[in-house]
Amino acid sequence: MEFTKLFSQSEVERVHEASLEILENVGMLVRNQKAMEIFSKNGCQVDMETMMVKFPREVVEKARKTFVPTYTFTAQDPKFDVTMPGDRPIVVTGSSAPNIIDPETGEERRATSDDIANIAYLINELPGFDVFSISTLAEDAPEGQFSLSRFYPALKNCKKPVRSNTPNMEDLKAVLDLGALIAGGEEEYRKRPFINHHYCPVVSPLTFDVDSTEAVIYLIEQGLPVYGTIVPNAGMTSPLSLMGTLTLGNAEFLGLATLTQMIRPGAPMIYAVLSTVADMRTGAYAPGAIETGMLQMAHTEMARFYNVPSGGYIGLTNAHSNDAQSGYETGMNTTGALLAGADLFNMGGLLGSLMAFDFAKAVIDNEIALMLKRMKKGFEYNEENLCLDLIAKVGPGGSYMDLDHTMKNMRTIAVLPKVATREMRRRWEDQGKPDAHSRAMKEAAKILSKPNKSRFSEELDAKVRGHFKGLVAGDAKWGI
Amino acid sequence: MVFQGIIKSIAAGDAEQSMVLTQRALAQGFAAESVLEKGLIAGMDRVAEKFREQRVMVPEVLMASRAMHAGLSLVEPLLESSEKKSTGKIVMGTVAGDLHDIGLSLVKMLVMATGIEIINLGVDVTPKKFASAVRKERPHILMMSALLTTTMTMMKDVIDELESLGIRKNLVVIVGGAPVDAGFAKRIGADYYFEDAFEVRAFLVENLTKLISKKSR
Ligand code: B12
Repeated sequence: MEFTKLFSQSEVERVHEASLEILENVGMLVRNQKAMEIFSKNGCQVDMETMMVKFPREVVEKARKTFVPTYTFTAQDPKFDVTMPGDRPIVVTGSSAPNIIDPETGEERRATSDDIANIAYLINELPGFDVFSISTLAEDAPEGQFSLSRFYPALKNCKKPVRSNTPNMEDLKAVLDLGALIAGGEEEYRKRPFINHHYCPVVSPLTFDVDSTEAVIYLIEQGLPVYGTIVPNAGMTSPLSLMGTLTLGNAEFLGLATLTQMIRPGAPMIYAVLSTVADMRTGAYAPGAIETGMLQMAHTEMARFYNVPSGGYIGLTNAHSNDAQSGYETGMNTTGALLAGADLFNMGGLLGSLMAFDFAKAVIDNEIALMLKRMKKGFEYNEENLCLDLIAKVGPGGSYMDLDHTMKNMRTIAVLPKVATREMRRRWEDQGKPDAHSRAMKEAAKILSKPNKSRFSEELDAKVRGHFKGLVAGDAKWGI
Repeated sequence: MVFQGIIKSIAAGDAEQSMVLTQRALAQGFAAESVLEKGLIAGMDRVAEKFREQRVMVPEVLMASRAMHAGLSLVEPLLESSEKKSTGKIVMGTVAGDLHDIGLSLVKMLVMATGIEIINLGVDVTPKKFASAVRKERPHILMMSALLTTTMTMMKDVIDELESLGIRKNLVVIVGGAPVDAGFAKRIGADYYFEDAFEVRAFLVENLTKLISKKSR
């Protein structure tokens, strides 16, 4: 598949050059002490008083030399390991929403660890999803177990790679302990680190924060999987032009990438810049706007220039229910990104601009994911697939319905959707005119009312619960 | 008429013109209060109303707000000497551990448009920092923003800190941010919660004078 290109080679190079200019002349504000020291030791000009760091271009170019082209998400079960770009598109849930749309009442409420268990199980079963980024927070978390109350139900119920963030170093270490316990020892865990960490260490414009940066440095030093998302918001925290925001976001990526490579040359990275354009009528955040998709396409082109996997939060929506807006915002932006060659799509399950998870949205996004994967698979160009013999045999006016060739291909050539309706109208009316939301909800219920076969063994569970006293139950159960 | 001119200059976001015309109105003998009410605030009200109807956009409101404050800088000294009545003061910030400031900036922009003085402490503001700003600035209102469920609880810590220093009583505490709601505000002992910048502005336009005069400070 040829990728959509928005820029000529010289335009791409100019964006790179311009980014170097920004880093060299404007610089970045680095609030994290360790990061400042690392920059200082590796050739940046650092003013310890003002915390301003300037990046000579040779320093950035040196870092570029050790960029690596792949990034792997490791899973508890090796059959779910995925590597970019080979396995693209990697489809992931959106994460860390405080709320959930209650599946019974349809009302928004705070999410709990039980919800996370259900979501984890659902994502484990939906074939379109490759990685489970823990979709919500857990309001019921016992004191001191904010992150354990998310990672435990997630890891207990989902064997795919699990991804999320932690708010502080203490929580991060607790989560790593949990990983080691599950793996059967720290050494074992390090061989297959199935928790994938994610942070937002850069606050646009051009600032490294304290805490997320600290976590990122620690994880890179430890050789554990981590990447950062950068979120310029045009009109608010970056220039109100697509080119300006592309360039600022690209410079910020280079800043973070330079730090990463200074700590551990060859550390895998993802070019994850989620640029958006603010809705200037109100200032609202607009992740589902078409410009978000366009910017993702452009950033992906830059990522390809650097030969680094690309993607991240794309395909999110501002819609508050599973309506047409929710579908077209997710659909259009992910399609654009896929065609431009993006590898990673944190697109699934969230409504209301990342504020709430919805089960039916996740099921619909699974279907969008399958469509994207179909698109990626493409036409399978070869002589045989031209079917010239077949066309001659059937001739004008014949039928292809009963051919062996058709039999052979009927289950694989097209996505067979579970949510999209293809019923005749009368039948659909007889069923009570179900919309996509209610059909998707039914799918979720069908999956979640069966027991989870991928759950932790009793033995492992007893071990984990023995180690962390007072853990939440973390079991998937569906009452509806 | 000079008030019409002031209103226009604010709508156009023309700070220079707003100052010239405010000066002219005062020279013509209009009382500072009426220049403020019928000129500057009336102009800002009009812009805010248009913003609500999405007929103007964020930067226009910011420019208008600046133009208004330019005029206000001439009016304010006269207000204070004539009648010890100030337009009010707000201390605001995003709570400790939280770096989200886009929502708070919008709140600031619209609230500033009431003519009130604002001291924005920025992001990651600890209870101690809030408390010392309250003690030093003696504001009428304290506004706190939080975008993380993990930092929301900091709002309670701030209120507790104010209580323990005995400086909570004469202060109106207003909270907001995406995960915050009215129930939470009540539980932590805040006075008000508003969902967005429009709501809090509308409330202040309606109640500011009452709030300020209630404070016997
Ligand atoms: C942009 C953004 C960021 C930017 C912030 C840039 C900046 N300068 O502010 C960056 C990338 C830095 C960031 C970082 C993080 N973020 Co963030 N972020 C967002 C996002 C997508 C949009 C926020 C925004 O700008 N909204 C637009 C403004 C206009 O809306 P608003 O802030 O809600 O304000 C309105 C109202 O709430 C109200 N209001 C706001 N304040 C006040 C105050 C008063 C007094 C009143 C009356 C009203 C009021 O008025 C405003 C409108 O008029 C939200 C999702 C969301 N929809 O909120 C996540 C979100 C808040 N972030 C989240 C997370 C997890 C993080 C990180 C922890 C990620 C990480 N792993 O590093 C870090 C934390 C950093 C920190 N310590 O604070 C989660 C929160 C989860 C939680 N714990 O509750 C969210 C919900 C997204 C998600 N699902 O993951 N984030």
